[in-house]
Amino acid sequence: MDTLGLLASILYQFGTNAAFLLLAAIGLVVILGMMNIINLAHGELMMMGAYIATIVTHRGIPFPLAVLLAFLLVAMFGAALERVIIRRFYGHELGALVVTWGISLIMGQGTLLFFGPFMPSIGIPGGSFSLGAYSFATYWIVLIGVSAILIAALWWIYQNTRFGLMARATMQKAAMAEALGVNTDRVYMLTFALGSGLAGACGALLAPTVSISPLMGQQFVAPAFITVVVGGAANVLLGAIGSSLLLSAVKTPVGLLFGAFIGTVALLLTALIIIRLMPNGVSFYLQRFTERRVGA
Amino acid sequence: MATQIPKELETQAESGQAVERRTVVQGIGAAVAATALPKFGVMTRSTALAAESGPVKIGFIEDYSGNLSVYGLQKLHAAQLAIKEINEGKTLKGGPVGAGGLGAEANFAGKPPTIGIQGTGLPVVNDGGPKDHKDVVFAEDEDVLIDSGDKGILGREVQLIAPDGQSNNALWQQLARRLIQQDKVDVLVAGFASAEREAIRPIVDRAKQLYFYTNQYEGGVADANTFCTGPVCEQQVIPGVSYMVEKFGPRGYTIAADYNFGQLTAAWTRAFAPLVGGEIIGEEFIPLSVSEFSTVIARIQQAKPDWVMTLLVGQNQHNYYPQAAAAGLRLPMVSTVNMAQGYEHRRFKPPSLAGMHNAIQYQMEVPTNRNRAFVKRWMAMFPNDQYIGEMAQNTYFTIHLYAKAVRLAGTTDQQQVKKALESGWTIEAPEGAVFLEPGTHHCAHYIRLAVCDENHNVSFPRSWPMIQAWWLQRLGVNLIRHPEYKQYVPDEDPYFAMFLKNKSKKT
Repeated sequence: MDTLGLLASILYQFGTNAAFLLLAAIGLVVILGMMNIINLAHGELMMMGAYIATIVTHRGIPFPLAVLLAFLLVAMFGAALERVIIRRFYGHELGALVVTWGISLIMGQGTLLFFGPFMPSIGIPGGSFSLGAYSFATYWIVLIGVSAILIAALWWIYQNTRFGLMARATMQKAAMAEALGVNTDRVYMLTFALGSGLAGACGALLAPTVSISPLMGQQFVAPAFITVVVGGAANVLLGAIGSSLLLSAVKTPVGLLFGAFIGTVALLLTALIIIRLMPNGVSFYLQRFTERRVGA
Repeated sequence: MATQIPKELETQAESGQAVERRTVVQGIGAAVAATALPKFGVMTRSTALAAESGPVKIGFIEDYSGNLSVYGLQKLHAAQLAIKEINEGKTLKGGPVGAGGLGAEANFAGKPPTIGIQGTGLPVVNDGGPKDHKDVVFAEDEDVLIDSGDKGILGREVQLIAPDGQSNNALWQQLARRLIQQDKVDVLVAGFASAEREAIRPIVDRAKQLYFYTNQYEGGVADANTFCTGPVCEQQVIPGVSYMVEKFGPRGYTIAADYNFGQLTAAWTRAFAPLVGGEIIGEEFIPLSVSEFSTVIARIQQAKPDWVMTLLVGQNQHNYYPQAAAAGLRLPMVSTVNMAQGYEHRRFKPPSLAGMHNAIQYQMEVPTNRNRAFVKRWMAMFPNDQYIGEMAQNTYFTIHLYAKAVRLAGTTDQQQVKKALESGWTIEAPEGAVFLEPGTHHCAHYIRLAVCDENHNVSFPRSWPMIQAWWLQRLGVNLIRHPEYKQYVPDEDPYFAMFLKNKSKKT
């Protein structure tokens, strides 16, 4: 029974670690991976989603609805942000980096001014169950499922919808897409809004598990960037899945054997090695592998 | 160093104009203070010192933003409240009188006595039912705030210069230099994390700056310029751990923030658990940036301890509590920091903190009249505040203590004030009487065991009315006879190794 519990515990932690990385990264996958905007305000967009979800849940709105609302409101905020500021920095990677950093500072400190240093968090929905000596939170099992659904939905949007086609065309060669009648301006805005909305929704999903504070977004920034960069640009969605599974596969056993600190060190070390050895990211190799199989 | 400051900035600072560009917080009623006439003998002495004019400047650094702002904002408000009271001519009871007297121990009834027994109509006073715990009985003060006869300090208005440390150690050093060299503050009150304190202490010592560190911490700082007014390990770890061993069993597991505070407090726990019949079966140190705890939780479940010592610091690490509760980890917990400082029991939904024990020196729920009066005064000034934690109260009484010491010295001259502080002060703080031991610059505190229940209500089943900060005395530290400027760590005391060998022997 205890071996079964241990196995389940390892699997559960592998899942939660991967889901955490994926949820932290999914908004950035769209904005950094597709638009090549180094969005340092990513954490603050997640913070905004968490605040929206927390506030409306305290007002009695059911949590799933709150997550949806966080998606919509943060997406609208993202669209406005893109119209007013971000669109002036396309093609200026460093300019975009500095301006999004500025936005992150304004959002973080602004929240501190308006809402104070803390907001009581919402309880983690669902209970726990146990196997042997180990117990597990139902909510994290749900989060693992939700992160898989989110990434699948994103995949579907980009492969099977007209918007997805136009977006991929715009990201590949904006001038050519425009010549063929794609309104690239609109595509950029919608893509940024989608990325922002996803960040907001993921912030809302993680809100019950973290403390709600103005600078809470910072904790997601490093895992998000590591996941996206390790994933690489060849196929951002495939890359994000590959890198979150790979990083979790390193972090989980090392963490269990040697403690959370060494686990994090192992994760960073792996990221370092992957970026050094595969500068194009995991997705480049994953894609080449699948193409070869299709070709053969 | 002073030569590096631009000339114009320096003159501006001296004339007091540059303060506009900084975070200057003035206590309310400051204007009244400037015109007040001196009433005491000590103050007529001060009027002879013509050089001391203008406001008394209290330099204050805490984190109002960033990972540690949950503590910094409370401490800022504490300083503002104390300074407002000082400027309005108020002070806390107490003086250089030694440790003061204590109450008598007695049994407490679960309910207050009632008159008459229902249905009988007889005028009988019952005794409130079975005696359910022991505590100390003492004549309770209604309030400890009294008139000082002095508006401000020595008739001078008190001004707070309080820049934001932003939870960033490098910035702390810059700010400490600025407050000492440019603003020329009369006293520095600063520091949450031990890393912050150790970052600025060399700067403090170079300038021989009078410095108060008001935090609960790991202990061991023996510094002639530094006065530590918060509780330390020997005052909290031993009472807390002994209660856990007695109540829940010998096997403890420590999870601690990975920096000097967490490492050293864990070392104390490891070394002293055997003294009270306990044993630490596992330890894990967690970086301040970690906020995801599934691995830590699984490792604790694997080790199966009787209780967990949690020494978690900052907003990221506080996520442990809801995550552990959601994962069904319901072990009794003990801490020296959690609940009393970051009010996790108010921030997280019950039952995240259920079963938390902490041998605290203060937290908002302390059930005495003087504390209720203090909480009321605080909430009148800051109605939106969510909590008053341990170090907020320390900051509050420390600034009052400083004012009293200056009045005794008759001057704000820092060397004179240090000498005045080394006169065996007792100050009546909201927690109870606090005794500042002159030789070690540390305080004896009233320690209470705070326990958090399923609904996050706090009760205090046991108290220790005065525990000395005895470790530095044990090491022979006497800063008056032998000034030194270092922090002792447990490795320097051979007794720690001896205790460790003494596994699980009941004393």
